[in-house]
Amino acid sequence: MTETVKITIDGQDYHVPKGMNLVDAAKLHGIEIPTFCYHPKMSPAGMCRMCLVELGSVQKDRESGEVLVDENGEPLVRWFPTLQTACTQTVHDGMVVRTQTERVAEGRSSIVEFLLTSHPLDCPTCDKGGECGLQELTMEYGPGESKFRYEDKHHAEKHVPLGDLIILDRERCILCARCVRYCDELVGEPVLGFHNRGRDLVIETVSDPPFDTVFSGNTTDICPVGALTTADFRFGARPWEMDPVPTICPHCPVGCNLTADTRLSADFGGKRAIKRIMPRQNEAVNEIWICDKGRFGHHHSRAEGRLRQPLMRRDGELVPVSWDEALATVAEKLVQHGSKAFFAAGHSLANEDLWELRKLARQTSRRAKLGLCPATVSGAQAVQQAGVGVGTRLQDLGAGDALLVIASDLYEHAPLWWLQVKQAAERGATVVVANARPTKLDRYAAHTVRYRYGEAARVLHNFAAMALRNDKLDAELLSARVEGWDALEEELKGSRVPAEQKSAAEALLEAQNLVVLAGNDGMGFEQHAELMQAAANLLIVSGHVGRANNGLVAVWPGANTQGALDMGFTSEAVGEAWEKPPAMWVLAEADPLGEDARMAQAFDQADFVVVAAQFLTATARRADVVLPVQSFAEREGTFTNGMRRVQRFYVAQSPLEGTLPAWKAFARLTERVKDGPKPFVAAEQVMQEITEKLAPYAEMSYANLAHVEEQFPPIRRDDLYYGGTAYENTGGLGLQWRTDAESPRKRLSVRPVERSARRWEGLLAVPLRVLYDRALPFAASALMDGHVPAPYAELNAEDAAALGVAEGDRIALEAGAARVELTARVNGHAPQGVVLVPQHLGDVLIAAPETCVVQKIEE
Amino acid sequence: MLAEKYPERIKQIFAKYPDKRSAVMPLLYLAQEEYGWLTEEALREVAGLCDIDPTQARSIAGFYTMFAEKPKGKYWLQVCTDLPCALRGADQFFHELCEYLGVDPEHGGTTDDGLFTVEPVMCLAACDKAPVLQNNFHFHENLNIEHAKQLIEKWRAEAAAEEDKDDEAE
Amino acid sequence: MNLIRGFATTIKHLLEEPVTVQYPEEERPVRERFKGRHVLKRYENGLERCIGCALCAAACPAGAIWVEAAENTDEERYSPGERYAKVYEINMLRCIFCGYCADACPTQAIVLEHEYRLSFTDRRDAIYTKAQLLEPPPSGAADTPQQTEPGQFTRAIPEMEDPR
Repeated sequence: MTETVKITIDGQDYHVPKGMNLVDAAKLHGIEIPTFCYHPKMSPAGMCRMCLVELGSVQKDRESGEVLVDENGEPLVRWFPTLQTACTQTVHDGMVVRTQTERVAEGRSSIVEFLLTSHPLDCPTCDKGGECGLQELTMEYGPGESKFRYEDKHHAEKHVPLGDLIILDRERCILCARCVRYCDELVGEPVLGFHNRGRDLVIETVSDPPFDTVFSGNTTDICPVGALTTADFRFGARPWEMDPVPTICPHCPVGCNLTADTRLSADFGGKRAIKRIMPRQNEAVNEIWICDKGRFGHHHSRAEGRLRQPLMRRDGELVPVSWDEALATVAEKLVQHGSKAFFAAGHSLANEDLWELRKLARQTSRRAKLGLCPATVSGAQAVQQAGVGVGTRLQDLGAGDALLVIASDLYEHAPLWWLQVKQAAERGATVVVANARPTKLDRYAAHTVRYRYGEAARVLHNFAAMALRNDKLDAELLSARVEGWDALEEELKGSRVPAEQKSAAEALLEAQNLVVLAGNDGMGFEQHAELMQAAANLLIVSGHVGRANNGLVAVWPGANTQGALDMGFTSEAVGEAWEKPPAMWVLAEADPLGEDARMAQAFDQADFVVVAAQFLTATARRADVVLPVQSFAEREGTFTNGMRRVQRFYVAQSPLEGTLPAWKAFARLTERVKDGPKPFVAAEQVMQEITEKLAPYAEMSYANLAHVEEQFPPIRRDDLYYGGTAYENTGGLGLQWRTDAESPRKRLSVRPVERSARRWEGLLAVPLRVLYDRALPFAASALMDGHVPAPYAELNAEDAAALGVAEGDRIALEAGAARVELTARVNGHAPQGVVLVPQHLGDVLIAAPETCVVQKIEE
Repeated sequence: MLAEKYPERIKQIFAKYPDKRSAVMPLLYLAQEEYGWLTEEALREVAGLCDIDPTQARSIAGFYTMFAEKPKGKYWLQVCTDLPCALRGADQFFHELCEYLGVDPEHGGTTDDGLFTVEPVMCLAACDKAPVLQNNFHFHENLNIEHAKQLIEKWRAEAAAEEDKDDEAE
Repeated sequence: MNLIRGFATTIKHLLEEPVTVQYPEEERPVRERFKGRHVLKRYENGLERCIGCALCAAACPAGAIWVEAAENTDEERYSPGERYAKVYEINMLRCIFCGYCADACPTQAIVLEHEYRLSFTDRRDAIYTKAQLLEPPPSGAADTPQQTEPGQFTRAIPEMEDPR
């Protein structure tokens, strides 16, 4: 239990957590103290003066500490002579506050009057009109008329782009500095600042690049007025005209809770379209923030390039056909090929789709293999054993806790986790970053560990060895229910740990809570399997499993990689298919030909290729039948995030005519294969079946997933001024499934990882995932186009010098089956002997590290 | 480049403060001394030295009136027109001074010959001696417009003499 | 006696001029404050008064008005300020001619004028589009979109009276 103190607000006593901000403490008990500059997720500034209250404290006898009382027996209160700002007060025992007196009312009214002297009255055209903190508090506390002359109203620039996504209206700005503090404190990129002073004070940026953080959109939510607007939404609709629909971000494994604001749209044929994406509060996932990829990456759902009818190859050309014809043909082929058919899913398919695909595979052949694309991940078992405990919230980690980020560039792979890990570091948590290359998180790391590509698992193995050496083992857990400890112990005893890893390991093992965030940066699925096993080993032997805020977080490449693994789809199966190409491919939102140049040969002999996709991808162009499926916006379903939280999304947008949700397409196919079961009518029924047949998902019925509990701080109730315009969660908080470590009767197992690290000869090309890329579906967002770089490769300075390549030169890169031309960058990010090649910027490249040859292209 | 030209001075400045960012103001003065005013480049240089964002450096330069964010005349005249000074006639003094120099009487400005820049500023910490005129950070107190005119003419003559000298030297 | 009085009344009315108007050959003039079909007004320079704020749609008790806004540029300017109505439709079958839209309008862009000949043979025809509702530009003024000087029309409500 946290320590509480007693405070008195308006004559009523309350017990509130010690050290809490007074505004929050009042809010906790439903008492309103209006604010503009204070925000519950940021430090106070005391700039707007809206939160004025009468403040005092109970007088105590200095020696005895007894409360002094007056003749009526009431405690004596020493009041401040003037009104005080509540936001700059933390609660203490005996604090006395009055929020309802005439003096307070007058103070608030005057502040509103002052603010309005320089605020334009353009609410009719303002995007915030209708969900504006200033509007709200003016109605509530404003004087109704002004002593100031209208002609003296302050005028300022109304269209100041702060980057190409966020536009500032200086006239509307009330200088609360929320955006300035947000950039400085939360994001750590202080690119917004004040300039000048007094009446001329303005927000500006002179940074290069300007306001370009991937979290920039959040400032428009916390702006208490309409000063900051997004280029995406500007004038899209009035807030009251839109219907908010809870949904989940399909772009990364964080699984940010979103609200899609939808409205009928003339541009979309008069049908319901997403007008803007807003964050939805989920304190265990994304709090009230989202990244710009999630906020602005919704245009693909309405893009021109979306497939709108099934296509079938006739005389070498893909021609439109009816669903009936397409399904009949595919079903016939499935029956024909039977066990020679191979099924692969992409990592952004919903659980319902995956389940129906699995059913289709099983209906086709009992031995059917289920593949997962891109084929770069592994470690389902590690997650099942040692995944983070149920109830884990990164925002709860602080002093005394530790986070290890290995093989992941969180800023690019899971921005919200980057933000939360950074904040944990600032709260005092020990952050260790281990990667083969520098990443943006290094700045906040207490220890940075560099390894060579291929050695990531070794680092964690060494950490486990340090646990053994420093006696940081959980002996009880090991003896009670861990298998394979003897073999691992033997192996650990013999390992030699480099000094820099020793100190990092010691810092981690000291911690009370330990969370490991493991990605797959620069590795194929074989190495990833080892890394995940090593992470599970470390967590199990040190006892950091089976409870909240401890365990493994998988930084998967996709929004639903976890779900795919849970359903039995594996990268290993794709590896086998590559080695022994199947006669028939059934690919659901998977694009192996667009991701990995090596895959082409596996398709050479294929007799029949079926692709279910939203767009005509590289693989779809090779297909014999293409089935047009729906995006996340148009159907309902569930995603399972990297912390195993199953979350529901709802139908937001009118579906494109001629498309089906993938699960429905597969269900209809199943029905046609050897008299399969009748398809379900609703996604909910599919989930019902999953709960019955897939043990970890037993609790995941739609009703349970839609369950909502009260969260603090309360966001977007009647008080938009307080938390901003992020949405309250009405769609469900989702549920995490329990790991083996959390079930006391289940046994855990550890095993040594490969002793020898994978080594490559010569120059190594390493694929890199970047946040803003040209992968479908994200690429279809024209707004973000300027943020996606032209195809490039990062070279080490020494390698570049040896090759005679300089920054900006054109180079030819040959790695395995991939042959591409790129622009060289020499900026110190690439370790020696390594060429970093971002994926999905242009031509098909490599999916896993591969030796390469680089040549300069002479002009 | 400041870092190359004044390595010693920069080192001394940094030595006075617990962390780099605290040294931003003395470094801005140094840059202003070097370039005459705080150019965008100068701000970036100082920000780089202090390991802060250029926006933050500019924020500081913008707040304090003693940092010049635009080129100034040879004589940079600042008059406080805040309330206590205004009560002693400083605003009237400022208008008259502007009119005498032929610049915008509301906001001040630089004379056509580039010799004088006049600007109203907040508080020069000399309320008791208002109207007060600050010429390149030197105070002239208890002024009236006649006295100020004499000062102006004196500086004008000074500048002319210097110019003659330069011409002769050539 | 009563009978005579009755006939007298009848005869008197027979001799009076009839009040029936031979519509459509003949049209009865309407009162100044008559509320007929809406017209979207323009400024003298031809720019549209409507700024696409959709307050009319919010005020409409019948849900008859549909507005979708977009952003003005100086190259393609429809109205003063940043916002204009890209789509503006009124369903005349739904409209009850209450005039709330005109009351809600901050720029006096929408006015219920005197046109009352509203009959349709198709429900779709009852939806008046922006092109139908917008009055023609005043003589000498250009139609929208116009190309304007940067900084010339920065405010949505150009000449506003003192709101006190």
